[in-house]
Amino acid sequence: MGLEEKLPSGILLTNLEKFVNYSRSKSLWPATFGLACCAIEMMAVGGPQHDISRFGMEVFRASPRQADLMIVAGRVSQKMAPVLRRIYDQMSDPKWVLSMGVCATSGGMFNNYALVQGVDHVVPVDMYVPGCPPRPEMLLDGIIKLHEKIAGQSFAEQGAH
Amino acid sequence: MSATDATWENDVFVSGADWEVVEDAVGDNTITVNMGPQHPSTHGVLRLILELNGEIVNDIKPVIGYLHTGIEKNAEYRTWVQGVTFFTRMDYLSPLFNETAYCLAVERLLGIEAPERAQAIRVILMEFNRIASHLVWAATGGMELGALTMMTMGFRERERILDLFESQTGLRMNHAFIRPGGLANDVTDDFEDRCRSLVAILRDKMNEYADLLLKNPIWMERTVDIGVLTAEDARAYGVTGPLLRAAGVEWDLRKAQPYCGYEQYDFDVVTEEAGDSYARFTLRLEEMRQSMRIIEQALDTLPGGPIMVEDKRIAWPSQLGIGSDGIGNDPSYIRHIMGESMEALINHFKLVTQGFPVPAGQVYQAVESPRGELGYAVTSAGTNRPWRVHVREPSFVNLQATNHMAAGHMVADVVAVVASIDPVMGGVDR
Amino acid sequence: METSYERLISLEDVERKVQERFPDLAADLRNDELTVFCKPVQVRDVLQYLSTDPDIQADWLIDLSGVHWPAGDHEIERQPSTTGWPTYRVSRDQGVIEVNYIVRSIAKNVYVRVAVQTPDEAPTVPSVTDLFPTANWHEREVFDFFGVEFEGHPDLQRILMPEDWVGHPQRKDYPLGGIDIPYKNDKFIPPPDERELREVVE
Repeated sequence: MGLEEKLPSGILLTNLEKFVNYSRSKSLWPATFGLACCAIEMMAVGGPQHDISRFGMEVFRASPRQADLMIVAGRVSQKMAPVLRRIYDQMSDPKWVLSMGVCATSGGMFNNYALVQGVDHVVPVDMYVPGCPPRPEMLLDGIIKLHEKIAGQSFAEQGAH
Repeated sequence: MSATDATWENDVFVSGADWEVVEDAVGDNTITVNMGPQHPSTHGVLRLILELNGEIVNDIKPVIGYLHTGIEKNAEYRTWVQGVTFFTRMDYLSPLFNETAYCLAVERLLGIEAPERAQAIRVILMEFNRIASHLVWAATGGMELGALTMMTMGFRERERILDLFESQTGLRMNHAFIRPGGLANDVTDDFEDRCRSLVAILRDKMNEYADLLLKNPIWMERTVDIGVLTAEDARAYGVTGPLLRAAGVEWDLRKAQPYCGYEQYDFDVVTEEAGDSYARFTLRLEEMRQSMRIIEQALDTLPGGPIMVEDKRIAWPSQLGIGSDGIGNDPSYIRHIMGESMEALINHFKLVTQGFPVPAGQVYQAVESPRGELGYAVTSAGTNRPWRVHVREPSFVNLQATNHMAAGHMVADVVAVVASIDPVMGGVDR
Repeated sequence: METSYERLISLEDVERKVQERFPDLAADLRNDELTVFCKPVQVRDVLQYLSTDPDIQADWLIDLSGVHWPAGDHEIERQPSTTGWPTYRVSRDQGVIEVNYIVRSIAKNVYVRVAVQTPDEAPTVPSVTDLFPTANWHEREVFDFFGVEFEGHPDLQRILMPEDWVGHPQRKDYPLGGIDIPYKNDKFIPPPDERELREVVE
C-alpha cells in the first residue's frame, strides 16, 4: 500500500514526532540531583545490580543544562524549594520531572512546617513514584512508564512545559 | 545577616565570562565561589561558600539546612513507638543506629532492658549497617575522587547487605525494626546462614577494595596529607568517630559505654596516626573487618528466648508470621485478645492507639554510629509522647571542622576532605 | 590524648566536687546521669570548672540543645483525652527554655549534663564558643529553633531554617504546620486543589 511497497528493505517510514520521541525516550539524561534517602536508592539504580544504563540513562549529568529529566529524590524543604525551581528553570526544554518517593510527592509522613508538601507546588511533575523509599525496581518502573508517556506525547505537549 | 549580603561595595559579579574578563575584574582580590547545594560531589545538598585565592582555598563556609525536615518537632506529635519511624529516616545511611540509640534512650527512661536475644540481633544488624554505610562512603567518596569502579563495587556489595535487611525487617532502608523494648519481629530461621555466607562474601571483597585503592597512586595523591585534623583540633570541634580515631585517639563508645552487650565481644578499636583523608580510608576499611568479627561472635553466641520485653503494657506483639493475605500477624496473640480476654483487647487497643506513658525525665544516650557519636537527648514529660527529642548528629558536628581541615588546600581537595568526613545531609539537617 | 574505657571518677564524686566548688547549685543524679542546674550567669564558670578540674577533665562539649517549657496549662494539640492515662499538661508560672550542655571527659570516661534555664520571653545565655569552638553551630541551632540569644557568639544567625524565616519553629507555641490531610468521610472537606507554580525569588 502506497510508498512502503516501493521502498527497498531496511527503510522504515514514520512521522517526525514519533521518531524524535523515540530518540528522546531512549536516551533520557537525568540530572544529578539527590536530596535524601531516595537519592541513595537512585544511586543504587545506577549501580550494577539494577543498572539504569539498560535504559540509556546512566549518564547522570552534573549540569542541569545537559539534562532532560529531574528525578526529585527526597524531601524538599522550604529552603531547598527556590533552589530546586532554579535548577528546573536551568534545564533545557523539553524536560520532565519524576517525583520519587512519598516525601517529594506529597510531603509524606513529614507533614510539618519545614517541608514543601509535594514538589508539584514548585515544579510540574510528569510521573509520581510512591514508596518510602521506593525500591530501585519501582523507580525503574516509573522510568519505563515515563518513557512510554514521552513516546506518546506531541511536540506541543512537550513544549508546554 | 546572610552569606550573600556582606558588603558588596568593591565586589564584582561574574557568571561564566571569559577568564581574561574575570581576571581583569578581580585583580588581586579573592574570588568567592558558591559550591552547591546542587553539586555532584558535596554528598547531597551541602552548600559550601569558598573564598579562593587563585586555586587555593582561603576560607570555607558551609551552609546547611537545605534538607531540614523538622523530624524532632514531628516526633513530639507522635507516640513513643511511632518515633522510631521518624528517627530511622534521619541519617538514612545508618537507620539501625538511629533506631537503637532512640530505643535505648526510651528504655533507660522506662527502666527496662531489652531481652538478650534482641540485643544480640541489634548488634548484628547494626554492624552490618556499619559495613553498608562505610561501603556507601567508599562508593561515593571514590566516585567524587574519580575512582568510579569503587562506586560500582561498593553498591554491588551493599545490595547484598540490603537483601539481608529486607529479608529480616521487610525494608531495604528505613526499617523501623528496632522498637522500645526489643524488636518488631524475630529473625527468620535461616538468619544465621544468611549472615555467615554474607560475611564470607564481604570478607573476600574487602581485599578487592584494598587492592584497588590502597596503593593506587592517584588515590594516594588525592588523599595523603589532605585534610589533616589533629587530636587537639578534634577536641575543639567536638569531632568524633573515624575522624577522631584517624587522629590517633582511641575512643569508641562501644568500649567506653557498652550498650546492647558490646562488652561480650572481642574486637579492636582501630586507630591511625596520620589524621589525613587517606588514614580515614584505611581506618574505615579495617573497621569493616572488625565489624565482621563482631558479627561472627554474636552469631556464635546468639541466645534464644524472647525478643520483646514481657511487660504487656509496653510489648507489642512480636511473634509475627505472614498469613495468606501477606499481612504479618501473631495468631496466638490474636486468639488471646479476640477470644479469651476482654482486658487484653482493651490493652492492645490502648497500646496501639495511644502508646504507653514514659516516666518524666531526661536522658542522653549515645551510640557509636559509622560517623561518630550519635546521641539522643530525650525529654519526657511523663506522657505517651516525647516532650522533646534532640539528636546529637555526628555529621552535623563533624562538618563544622571542614574549614579547619580544607583551608589552604586546593579546590579539588575540598571534595576529598568533605568525602572523608562522610556527612549525611539527612543527619546534618534533620 | 589520654582516654580510658574505665570510669575513673564516679558521678557521686563529680556531684560532690561540683557542689563544693559551687555550693548554691542544685544537682540531680538519675538514670545514671548527673545533671547540674545553674543560672545563665554561672554557666561559663561551671563548664570551665568541669573541663579544667584535673579529676573530671570534661573538656569535650558533646551536645548543646534546647527544651521549651511554656507557661500556663499547656496541652498539645490533637491529644486524645482518655481516662486512666496521663494527660499532657504542664503548668508553670513562667515559660522557660532549658539549654542543656553535655560535656564529656574521655580521660575519665564520664559525662555531665549542665542545664540552664532562661525565660522564654527574652531568652539569653552567654555564649561558650570561645571555650568550645564546637558550640558555634550548636548555639546557632538553638537560636534558630528556640530564639535563644547567645551573648558573645561571633555569628549568631539562622542555620537550618531559611534566613528570612519568621518564628522559632521548635518552640511549643509554634504550630507543627503542614497541611491537613482529611480522612475519607471526614466532616472537613478540603477545597479544590488549586496549586499554582510559585514565582522564583531571585
